[in-house]
Amino acid sequence: MILLVPSLVSVVDDDQSVRESLPDLLKVCGYNAEAFASAEEFLASDLLRETKCLIVDVAMPGMNGPDLQRELSRRRHAIPIVYVTAHRDETVRPRMLEQGAVECLFKPFSDTALLDAVMRALRAG
Amino acid sequence: MGPTHDHLTEEIKRLRRCMNDLVGVVGLAAVWTGRAPSQIVGILLDSLLGMLLLDVAYARVEGPDSKTAIEMVRVAQSRQPPTRASDIGDALANAFGGDPLRWPPSARIRLAGSDVSVATVRLGLRGDAGVVVAGTQRADFPDPIDTLLLRVAASQAAIGLQEARLLGEQRRLAHELDQRVAQRTTALAAANTELKREVTVRRRAEAALRASEHDARLIVDSIPAGVALLTPTGEVDDVNRQVLQYFGRPLDELKNWVASDIVHPEDVPNVVRRLTHSINSGEPYECEHRLRRHDGRYRWFQARGLPLRNADGGIVRWYILLTDIDERKRAQEALQRGEAFLAEAQRLSSTGSFSWRVSTDDITWSDELHRIFELDPPLTPARIRTRVHPEDVHAFDTTVDRARHTGDDFECRCRLLMPNHSIKHLHVVAHATRDREGQLEYIAAVQDVTESRVSEEALRDAQQQLARAARVTSLGVLTASIAHEINQPLSGIVTNAGTCLRMLAADPPDVDGARETARRTIRDGNRASEVVTRLRALFGRSGSTTEPVDLNDAAQEVIMLSSSELQRNRVVVHTELAAELPPVFGDRVQLQEVILNLCLNALDAMRSVDDRPRQLVVRTERDEGTGVRLTVQDAGVGLDPHAADALFQPFYTTKTGGMGIGLSVSRSIIENHRGRIWAASNDGPGASFSFSVPCAPQAVSRLGGPRIVHEREVTPRAAADAVHGGVSP
Repeated sequence: MILLVPSLVSVVDDDQSVRESLPDLLKVCGYNAEAFASAEEFLASDLLRETKCLIVDVAMPGMNGPDLQRELSRRRHAIPIVYVTAHRDETVRPRMLEQGAVECLFKPFSDTALLDAVMRALRAG
Repeated sequence: MGPTHDHLTEEIKRLRRCMNDLVGVVGLAAVWTGRAPSQIVGILLDSLLGMLLLDVAYARVEGPDSKTAIEMVRVAQSRQPPTRASDIGDALANAFGGDPLRWPPSARIRLAGSDVSVATVRLGLRGDAGVVVAGTQRADFPDPIDTLLLRVAASQAAIGLQEARLLGEQRRLAHELDQRVAQRTTALAAANTELKREVTVRRRAEAALRASEHDARLIVDSIPAGVALLTPTGEVDDVNRQVLQYFGRPLDELKNWVASDIVHPEDVPNVVRRLTHSINSGEPYECEHRLRRHDGRYRWFQARGLPLRNADGGIVRWYILLTDIDERKRAQEALQRGEAFLAEAQRLSSTGSFSWRVSTDDITWSDELHRIFELDPPLTPARIRTRVHPEDVHAFDTTVDRARHTGDDFECRCRLLMPNHSIKHLHVVAHATRDREGQLEYIAAVQDVTESRVSEEALRDAQQQLARAARVTSLGVLTASIAHEINQPLSGIVTNAGTCLRMLAADPPDVDGARETARRTIRDGNRASEVVTRLRALFGRSGSTTEPVDLNDAAQEVIMLSSSELQRNRVVVHTELAAELPPVFGDRVQLQEVILNLCLNALDAMRSVDDRPRQLVVRTERDEGTGVRLTVQDAGVGLDPHAADALFQPFYTTKTGGMGIGLSVSRSIIENHRGRIWAASNDGPGASFSFSVPCAPQAVSRLGGPRIVHEREVTPRAAADAVHGGVSP
């Protein structure tokens, strides 16, 4: 019997209810999950190396989602990204996908839509 | 073991249902996007009925014109007979009173013959869009989960209703603007046509005049006219028969014309000057002057003289041709007078005149007066009287009577009631004179001042429209922000609910985990409704209210509300709010609208800035003297120094997307608060917009002491004075 180590999915969002709720959902579905309140906090963390998929809020104070994506690719450590945003701006999604995001979901999103995106991200990674 | 297990199964079922319902409620937004408010409420009622197992769901919402209310009801299938919305509405009004906004959150009442537990939630961002009442015979309704579902559903509906309201408002505004543009275009086109017509008429008149001059010359050249022959030195030598007949005097008398009244005394100097010039220079002579006919009347003549030269070129005689141009001249004068009169009339616009010979009641009216009274000639006092507004007839009679007997000047204002029921306002000024026989005659001017009254009203109307357009613009920007604020907690709800359901579905179910996620779901649900509550505090009051306002609080609320919009545009907000700022008196919502406008302007000014931080500073401080000053400082593109004055004019804008009304509306709000608003360039990049409003009188008088105004010490009079510019006794 081979014990599979669950993949680590990291959540970066300045909104507390997302940081509380998303990791629980991911854990129930068999993933490892960690939450970070800002892009800076995530970049400073040891878990950066282990993260197989990132769920990131597009707009955050300080470094925002796309900034984080650019910083990761500058460090040559690209991680598949699923963006989430509470701004229902239809122009955002195509822009994010064009820049290489796996998915961009508008809050509130359904759990199945999120899990589907995470699964695609992990396959991509 | 058994009861505990049953209890657990029951709880799992209950939680599962609750979570499913929550997910369902959150999903409603997708269904009602783009629909009218009444449809949104209809969908809301349907889903609440199913979710909460209600017997009845009733809604009363504001109609599209904000004046009528729409009532809707949904009842459970099993209930018979069908219920009318107005019956439920009447029953609720009987139980709770006529104003739905004052209905209690929950109560147990008698409805359609049974005892029903009802719960009421208010709809809309302002909480005034309507109410939803959920009713069921269940005695324990509403339990916390019912309340949560109702609140989350109402929060969801708030976004939908806000979007629908905004869409409607934008459509209406766009339609109105279209109409105004069309009206203005038509008016301009009409004015243009009128102008063209005038130009054509004028050209024709000029051409006619030129032609008649030409004709006159031909006639002068071809028909016998007066001819005088002068010596080379200018003395009258001889005249033809026509001249002798005209003057009725012998030639000798005519020779001495300079010293007699043959030439009109006023014209003599001119005639002498011109004639002397021609005789000295030999140039043709031309002059227009009056000559006295045999009956003593002066008529206008054109005199044209040519020298007759001998073979050496020396002048031997002057031939003077005298043409009677009296009629032409008088016509010309009449024309000039007419033109002057016309110009004057245009200037005075809508002023008619009349003269009234009292002894004979003989009245002469100007055309304008016929137009004002909309009566065909002839006008008589009796006919005029039929137009006077019934309420003013007595005053009219009194005035006429007094004028008839006293012969004093009089002035009066009176209203006319026209056949189409419109009202005209007239201003009459009459001056009494006596003619040569000593008879009393009034000369009077009648001005129609309706127009100026109407245009004052139109101006007020336009200002209100501007204010509304500005509100729609700022609401438009804020709708995204509001949706963001509400979507955050909704996102938590959906994720928690999904997690909760998965935990319950696991084998064995993770009941503790599910309870925890359910707890968080409820917290997020409450958070969503808190957002709506906070928004209601900001938008809630309609109409102007005067109260002590803490500008620090007001500014912080605005910043909080627009924070996501600012953050999305990468604007960093710093606040430098003065401690112990005295309150100002005014309308909190209006002042917040100004702060919001200034912040949105600052945001726009920084959109193109990428080489420096997009920093926005909101600062409050005591003004020199007695005011409080608020400054919004940006690091944007800065001000055009030449445009600083134009900034606060309506429709001035440098933004491609802007309407240029925010600042002008802001200025009128600040000026209504006896304050002032201005803009200045920063030392560094960007501009600062500031306003200053006087603080409450009590706060000023206590500069040294605590700067807090207690409401009971503030008289309504002082509050009104603080805003409207009066002086406290």
